[in-house]
Amino acid sequence: MLTDPEVLRYSRHLLLQDVDVTGQEKLKNSKVLIIGMGGLGSPAALYLAAAGIGTLIISDFDVLDVSNLQRQIAYSTADVGKYKVLAMKQRLEALNPQIRIRSINKEMSQEQLSMELSMIDLVLDCTDNMHSRQKINTACVQTKTPLLVGAAIRMEGQLMFFDNKLSDSACYHCIFPQNSDESLNCSNSGVLGPVVGIIGTMQALEAIKFIVGIPSELKNKLKLFDAKTLEWQTFSINKNLQCAVCGAIS
Amino acid sequence: MIINVNYQRMDVEIDLNIKQLFSLLKCDLDGHAVAVKQQVIERQKWASYQLQENDVVSVFQAIAGG
Repeated sequence: MLTDPEVLRYSRHLLLQDVDVTGQEKLKNSKVLIIGMGGLGSPAALYLAAAGIGTLIISDFDVLDVSNLQRQIAYSTADVGKYKVLAMKQRLEALNPQIRIRSINKEMSQEQLSMELSMIDLVLDCTDNMHSRQKINTACVQTKTPLLVGAAIRMEGQLMFFDNKLSDSACYHCIFPQNSDESLNCSNSGVLGPVVGIIGTMQALEAIKFIVGIPSELKNKLKLFDAKTLEWQTFSINKNLQCAVCGAIS
Repeated sequence: MIINVNYQRMDVEIDLNIKQLFSLLKCDLDGHAVAVKQQVIERQKWASYQLQENDVVSVFQAIAGG
């Protein structure tokens, strides 16, 4: 049941046939974990808090640096030196006091991650390194937790969705099996702020659609965004039966 | 035969496979993914996957940033 203040707050959702009261109640009853409170996590967390996700769990172990502010738009200059999850929690509580926000201020072990995943509906991977991405993917496959992956660098972005509840779901490791951090990240390659914003916002959009039950074309797909041409390319990913992470799981 | 790789036209030998394409491109196998006609090709098939005339091939890197 939505309360009167919730009906007021989410009135523009309720006007949408695709959401309506039923969809808003699904959002209210949902639990979403966002890992990484940087450039992707900033818009993703803001939109999901604003949308009325009932329980939002935010995770990061980093302290805000002044060089983050060019793209991590949830923070202000006064937050420099603070733990990102603590600054973000304050920001989200101010934005929407009607939801629950829990922060995890450390790097989770594989065991803790799996335990957290057993209690939630969806994970957003908003991290900035390959080691974390592989760890999150493995835990999501093992716990059959749906995973929305976003990544961005320079002037390009990547977006993927793996519904690990489905036996034919591919996984991140099927397409990118490497564990080393030779892959590009924002610290070593640079990034244009709005590019991470676009990908993080797309993660929030797909998260809302998934929870409400609006069909998505993103399952087992990789979308590449080129910020120079504004073109999106879409690629299909089949489950790799020889994948070391998901190949043996059906 | 002519194939298209990342929007560039390439004239290559008939029956070139994906692994050989990587050598031509002087590109590391690790850290990359390949799609032919919008379908990602599993890594273990690269050595046996023969490209066809007019194939549209996309080679891209994993991105970790966020």
